[in-house]
Amino acid sequence: MLYPLIEVARLSLHESNLTRETWVGFGNYATLLADRFFWATFLNTVLFTVGSVVLHLVIGLGLALLLNAGVNPYFRSFARGVLIVPWLLAPTVAGMIWVLMLAPFGVFNGMLTTLGVISSTSNIAWLGDSATALGSVTAMNVWRAFPFFMVMLLAGLQAVPQQQYEAAQLDGATLWQQFRFITLPSLRSVIATIVLLDSIWTFRAFDPVFVMTGGGPSHSSEVLATAIYFDGFQKLKFGYASAEAMVMFASLFIVSAFYVRRSMRSVN
Amino acid sequence: MTMNAMTQHPSGGLGIAARRRLVNLSTYALLVLAIVVMWFPLAWMFSVSVRPNVEVMKMPPDWIPQVFTWEAYAKILSSPRYLRVFINTVSVALLVTALSLFLGAMAAYALARFNFLGHRMVLMFLITTQMFPLVLLCIPYFRIFISLGLYDSLTALVIVYLTFTLPFCILMLRSYFLNIPKDIEEAAMVDGCSRVGAIFRTLVPISWPAFIGAGLYTFLLAWNEFLFAVVLIESWGKRVLTMAIYSLLAEFVTDWNTMMAFSVLASAPLVVAFVFLQKYMVQGMTAGALTS
Repeated sequence: MLYPLIEVARLSLHESNLTRETWVGFGNYATLLADRFFWATFLNTVLFTVGSVVLHLVIGLGLALLLNAGVNPYFRSFARGVLIVPWLLAPTVAGMIWVLMLAPFGVFNGMLTTLGVISSTSNIAWLGDSATALGSVTAMNVWRAFPFFMVMLLAGLQAVPQQQYEAAQLDGATLWQQFRFITLPSLRSVIATIVLLDSIWTFRAFDPVFVMTGGGPSHSSEVLATAIYFDGFQKLKFGYASAEAMVMFASLFIVSAFYVRRSMRSVN
Repeated sequence: MTMNAMTQHPSGGLGIAARRRLVNLSTYALLVLAIVVMWFPLAWMFSVSVRPNVEVMKMPPDWIPQVFTWEAYAKILSSPRYLRVFINTVSVALLVTALSLFLGAMAAYALARFNFLGHRMVLMFLITTQMFPLVLLCIPYFRIFISLGLYDSLTALVIVYLTFTLPFCILMLRSYFLNIPKDIEEAAMVDGCSRVGAIFRTLVPISWPAFIGAGLYTFLLAWNEFLFAVVLIESWGKRVLTMAIYSLLAEFVTDWNTMMAFSVLASAPLVVAFVFLQKYMVQGMTAGALTS
């Protein structure tokens, strides 16, 4: 684990293909930071991450609240079990299903046509249009990973002592006040943990983008993970790709540091 | 719970019982709606897998296949090349799970019971491994395995998967072990068990829910992994499911029913395992996120 990291750091200071290496110092980093595409990719990664995490939280919290609200316990565990399935799928498989659904003649456009939102002659190539590609990948990722939030938040909700709500009701607290002053504070630590984790996971995610768009069209959905892959394994610019990887690692490191600190506190 | 609270404030014209029923009904309605929406992609995957390819890209779409056929499944199950992919995936995932649990249990025991020098460092290191951007490791691993002559071998995949599943198993089992009183193994040791014997006769049997949870999660990770399967494997004979499904997209762009049948077959084992072991899986997820 440590050796590969040192190896990447070393490579990032070289210009390298498979056979030879030339020392270039911080040349790779200079090229990288001056590259418009790199910054566009970085921004895409941030958008993809923030979009996914926020929607995961909203949908996950909504469903967890519904599941926790007085439904029959058998129905609750049935619904939880059924809703968890997207999370079990490989990102590759989930991506494939969405590629199929979002194709120009796919079922999603079919649905929109039936509903009269678009006409049958103006099918949208969701993944082939640079305006919608990144959004489509984000939508798939939201669908695949919301169950994780749902399950974690439901577990958190069930740990909130019932008496707190009863006391609040006696004092005449409204539903919103109960949510704001009892539910949210009790979930704070769970939310912080899963938001951090999900940010890290999404920021480094490779499969969804690679499978669905390959970063295209014209890099409009490129994220750091796929950019590193293409620069390294297709253009064989291992030095440059390593420099990109180091920048990615540094950005993730900041988020991870919070997470590691939190975990270390709970571990001790 | 929060919804029930509404019944305490009968502010509208409805009586308490009627309001309660309304709230309850809308909760169920929303949940059923969520299930329908979230299952649509899964239903579509299955529906495409059992229809001929000409029916896939029709406008407007047929919701129910007009011609029902298992031909895509037959094609996969009769092809030695595709069956090989299943065998590869099962062997890699099982081997990774078994090794992670076995080695993980040992390390977790040491971390839970002994306070040695660098104890904190080890824990911190394990947590950090879970945060690593894996794509960062692609380039060095690729070069290392080429120089070791392990490029394009399943061994390489097993080794790489272990580097991230093992720390997870260690952390999860450790947190479970911490909650088990030391006295239990000590009693076994007083009765003449060696320490290793005591671990396997007392601690492991007590902790089986943690083993199932960690094992399932590890299996899921190994089964679904894609990045390293792309980077480290080249030949068809060594491919795993995720990679094979992706190759279908690249090689035969329009063979949708085979691709979806493949996806169904690749997901089914996980879903079935989950149905039976839901409780442990949820525990594993919860514990995993809170410890790893």
